[in-house]
Amino acid sequence: MNTQVINRAIKGTGSVLREYLVLVMIAVLAAITAIVEPKFVSGANLVNIMRQFGPLIMVSLGMTFVILGNFIDLSVAGTINLVAVVTISLIQPFGQIPALLMGLTLGALCGALNSVVILTSGALTQAEALFLTFGMSTVYSAIALLYSGGTTMHFWDITKSKSVFEAIGSGSIGPISISFVIFLVLLAALWIFQSQTKEGRAIRLTGGNKTAARLAGVRIKRSIVVIYTIGGFMAGVGAIVLFSRITTAAPVIGAGYETNAILSVVVGGTTLKGGKGSVLRTVMGVLLIILMSNCLDLLGVSTYLQVAVKGAILVFAIWLDNRKQV
Amino acid sequence: METGSAEVILSIRGVSKSFPGVKALDNVSIDIARGMVHGIVGENGAGKSTLMKILSGVYQKDSGTVIFDGRQIEHVTPHQSMQSGLAIIYQELNLVNTMSVGENIFLGRFKEMKGMRGTHAAARKLLESIASKVSTTRLVSELSMSEKQMVEIAKALSFKSKLIIMDEPSSSLTAEEMVELVKIIRHLKTQGISIIYISHKLDEIFEFCDVVSVMRDGRVIDTKPKTEFSRSELITKMVGRTIENEYPPRPQAVGEVLMEVRSINTQKLHDVSFTLREGEILGFVGLVGSGRTEIVRALFGADRVKGHQVMISGKPVNIRNPKGAKDAGLGFIPEDRKLEGLVLPFSVESNISMASIDRFSRFGFIRKSLEKGIGARQVAALDIRTPSTRVPVGNLSGGNQQKCIVGRWLEISPRIFIMDEPTRGIDVGAKYEIYSLMKKIAENGGSIILISSELPEVLNMSNRVLTIFEGRITGEFDPQSTPTDTIMAAALGLAPGLAGGAT
Amino acid sequence: MNTLGIGASLFRLATKQKAFIAILVMLVIMVFSGTEFYTAYNLLDMLNSTSILLILAFGVTLTIISGGCDLSIGGILVVSGILAIKLMDYMALSWAIFLAVLFGAVVGAINGFLVVHQRTEPFIITLGTGFLLTGVAQQLTNAHPVPAKNPAFMMIGNGTVHGIPNLVIITVVLFVLFFWLMRYTQFGRNLYAIGGDYEVALYSGINVIRTKWLAFVISGAAAGLAGVLLSAKLNTGSSIYGELTALVVNCGVVVGGTSFAGGIGGIPQSALGLLVFGMLDNVMNMLTITSYIQVLLKGAVIVAIIWLDCFGQKRRRETV
Repeated sequence: MNTQVINRAIKGTGSVLREYLVLVMIAVLAAITAIVEPKFVSGANLVNIMRQFGPLIMVSLGMTFVILGNFIDLSVAGTINLVAVVTISLIQPFGQIPALLMGLTLGALCGALNSVVILTSGALTQAEALFLTFGMSTVYSAIALLYSGGTTMHFWDITKSKSVFEAIGSGSIGPISISFVIFLVLLAALWIFQSQTKEGRAIRLTGGNKTAARLAGVRIKRSIVVIYTIGGFMAGVGAIVLFSRITTAAPVIGAGYETNAILSVVVGGTTLKGGKGSVLRTVMGVLLIILMSNCLDLLGVSTYLQVAVKGAILVFAIWLDNRKQV
Repeated sequence: METGSAEVILSIRGVSKSFPGVKALDNVSIDIARGMVHGIVGENGAGKSTLMKILSGVYQKDSGTVIFDGRQIEHVTPHQSMQSGLAIIYQELNLVNTMSVGENIFLGRFKEMKGMRGTHAAARKLLESIASKVSTTRLVSELSMSEKQMVEIAKALSFKSKLIIMDEPSSSLTAEEMVELVKIIRHLKTQGISIIYISHKLDEIFEFCDVVSVMRDGRVIDTKPKTEFSRSELITKMVGRTIENEYPPRPQAVGEVLMEVRSINTQKLHDVSFTLREGEILGFVGLVGSGRTEIVRALFGADRVKGHQVMISGKPVNIRNPKGAKDAGLGFIPEDRKLEGLVLPFSVESNISMASIDRFSRFGFIRKSLEKGIGARQVAALDIRTPSTRVPVGNLSGGNQQKCIVGRWLEISPRIFIMDEPTRGIDVGAKYEIYSLMKKIAENGGSIILISSELPEVLNMSNRVLTIFEGRITGEFDPQSTPTDTIMAAALGLAPGLAGGAT
Repeated sequence: MNTLGIGASLFRLATKQKAFIAILVMLVIMVFSGTEFYTAYNLLDMLNSTSILLILAFGVTLTIISGGCDLSIGGILVVSGILAIKLMDYMALSWAIFLAVLFGAVVGAINGFLVVHQRTEPFIITLGTGFLLTGVAQQLTNAHPVPAKNPAFMMIGNGTVHGIPNLVIITVVLFVLFFWLMRYTQFGRNLYAIGGDYEVALYSGINVIRTKWLAFVISGAAAGLAGVLLSAKLNTGSSIYGELTALVVNCGVVVGGTSFAGGIGGIPQSALGLLVFGMLDNVMNMLTITSYIQVLLKGAVIVAIIWLDCFGQKRRRETV
């Protein structure tokens, strides 16, 4: 009798642990780093950490929706490239705010186009979506190259005045950077959408079981369009934050964002099988990755080794995600 | 007959098998004589496929003994079973569509056969022995059903099988192809190969079977040489049962015509038309694969079908997808609740509220309080046994899972309720609850289309019954006044009147 | 009505014989191009450039036929190339090459374990291992290309025998080898069975787990070999080639007619598919199409091919 109780207790803690694994890991990691390297808790380092919540978190938030719907999006790199070069080129003729809005629209359109390609082909699996969106990424990147002629546009060449983009890139209200504020606003909006709206629920149902959702009258085609449009839109946001920060827009700046975004989402605990997950979890996933990078930086580990470590974490996270469901 | 006697190739004694909630086989005993064609008849759910799957190693029996060719069989894999000389040809066929005929026959034995050339040469010989002209290099996907069966038979022969079990082999064959199959069966018999022939088609059973066993509800009712059976006796034994109080009394008041469906035509269905009245339970009776589910899926917009007309309350409706069907007042409980009906990792509450999202949201926003109300309401109304509405629906028993799906649709009170195998895999108590529910729906003016492979269920619950055979509606009956045998005959595609006569 | 019917059947043909038609179209265009396309030099050069991709495709084909896929080949490619070059400083050339190929096989074994024994989705987990290896490659090289110091090594990648480049010869030999493996061995036929219908294969007594796992091991080894040869050709180990390669090769295999559904296709089909991409590159260069438009065309081709592949399956599939 006793062993049964103990076994059940272990299983219970085990499952709770797995649910909140990310939080636990964040806490553990933060603790270890603080002990090993006291600089971790300095004000400067914390500001540094906050600053990291930039392009990657934006893209990752968008990717969360795609994965919630049991799909995947490898086109974000191309979308970022395209939005960056187009937006920056539109500042002169149209003004900053209009250019920004047009850039965001472009991002959304790229995402919507992805969904149209997927839906018209009849592709319903993640694998098919993976290859189709990869192809679209190449197309978008190519258009970016053609549009920009391969040149990198520097922000200061375009406007010398106090700009919206400068604010996004490096401005702050007190100790909090403006990009962090933007992140919080978008996070709130996306969280509300995901948890409180009809369509958010429809997306979860689509991801949970497409067939059952469809037979219950859920419009899965609409949900597919929505998730990719959000993905594209947030990639556009990421592009704008990115080039605001580095003040240049090259047609290749999007490289690598898709894998890092997927990594953040999966590590955060949103399952690749769809239906379960949350943008909040993705934030935790990004936080974990940032903390880890921060920790490794403080310990003097090279950037490249960090990439390898991230890859190992991705493999481990996918494996773990799979075990949870099986 | 003694076991181990040279006259008996297969001896099944006291075999039982249960699945959660249902006893599929109950103390089954049959002796298959060597060199005979032994027919097994029974309606859907009688236990025939379960028995065959135990013999071939796909399932393991719970109790009893099976002695094949003098040796006791315990815990075999399908492959071992084949190797020992017991071959089974399934209705769905066990072939790799993307590979050639020759390779399929010798699947996994490429090396033994010394490569491609050896494989095809040996395959050619086997096919010739059963007078099949199928080329061994053709892909299985290109073959007709009849040709595919030839390949399966050749495969069985390649293992030097002593017993070949054929599970509903003729369901997809034309009359001419059937003639060929009979020739082959007779030929196999002359080779000393015993055959178990499972079928619904009584004509075939009487034509070339030597002995017939009738199964019903997991038991063997009778085993006799065919000459001692009359056709009517066979049907009666397949179907007859004393009907206790298993079903609530039928709803009596049936109103006006609510829905008219005209000319559904697809690859499988041919000119299907029917009507449905208010407060009526309309039953679809037919064999597995006859097209019942295809009809309702076409109606519900689950399959993209065009060219038919649907009128509800006199007005034409164009249903192009399930959402449209829902809006038009239809509800659908699908055949496979786990794959098509539920999102297993989601909560009971979410699963129940799935079709009502519009109702518990305002201006695009979800009101959780309203949703909770829905979950609680249906759990109470249907007596769904669950620790709470927040547990994953996958934790519930089959019956309670089914109730969740029923509750999902009850929430939006559809006028037309389509139920495809609503009580499959559910224990007796829960079944009665669902029957009472159906009656209540009908009494409140709702109409139900009921598809069930359990003949008693359909006959007892329905006001009216349509028989469907090979994609066509073959008859319309009042189950209260029509003899069961007549209905069964229509479902088997037999002309009316033949069923009752002497052989 | 007639033209509509002809159009429909032509379309269906297009979805089935994509690679063939694509190559035909290109060959016809080049007849009128007035370029030096149709010279022995150019054709050999085209083959030479495509050789690495072809070798990768041979390995990947095994995994796709058996119902999976391998997106880690890009990562294996770069790491094994770098590994070979680094090891050359410490041991004989042949040992360095052997160990680099072995490394690929080991990665393949791990992939196989995760996919077959742990039942993880192949496309996502191999994407992960590929990403991991790219990081490793960057670490090993500090993002600078690592030059090889062994002239024999460079000869392997760039030498010729009677005017035919070594790489082409190696590719042809591997083609024959893999073709034989897939068509004339029990192992190869089992792979087709597993991809065609997992259950039927299982019931026929085929050891599905070990066979599928081996497919991944071989794919990894082939990628390892390709990596070594690429380094030999460029005479450096660089980390930049990994990322797109995996996706391009997997797409190319599908182009040629090996379907992701499994059980369909083979080595000649995969080779044809990759040749489409190789020829596309060559043709675009010959026609002096600007490099950005080249990238655009390639992307458009990839999308079109995969789209057609999915669309073709849609016909057979019931609606959800």
